[in-house]
Amino acid sequence: MELELLMHGIVLALIIITAYLSLTLEDILASVISFAAMSLLLALEFYMLQAPDVAMAEAAIGAGLTTAIFILAIKKTERWDV
Amino acid sequence: MNIFLIAAILMAVFISIAILRIILGPTTPDRVVGLDTTNMMVIATMILLGAAYDSVILIDVAIVYAILAFVATLYISKYLEDEA
Repeated sequence: MELELLMHGIVLALIIITAYLSLTLEDILASVISFAAMSLLLALEFYMLQAPDVAMAEAAIGAGLTTAIFILAIKKTERWDV
Repeated sequence: MNIFLIAAILMAVFISIAILRIILGPTTPDRVVGLDTTNMMVIATMILLGAAYDSVILIDVAIVYAILAFVATLYISKYLEDEA
């Protein structure tokens, strides 16, 4: 049981770090990469909380769809935050 | 004492090291490689946790994720190729 708590702790700390990073980076493409890492770790956390259907939806939307749409948006606009 | 859970915690430590590359990485390709490494290690962690919880259904999530992680990396790489 303590081992599961340790695992939850590591994953939740990484979620906070990547979320902070995706808000503060100047390069929007790097920000999108950090956001993809955050949704990936969030899917892992849902998985560890025994919700595989939520984890699958989060993986499909967070990793595939959101990253692709954000990249399309950056392609049409500016890459660097000013 | 579940041996698969110990292996999963070890993988979580390795994931933190790969996230460190996303945090530090001076250039964007560094961050893309860090994200791809994180993707693959999270898939491995999901399979290890599926073995730890002794459930077959949990493995399907890892299969779906293995396909989608590839697509996401491909999108970012195509963008970098167009820009160069």
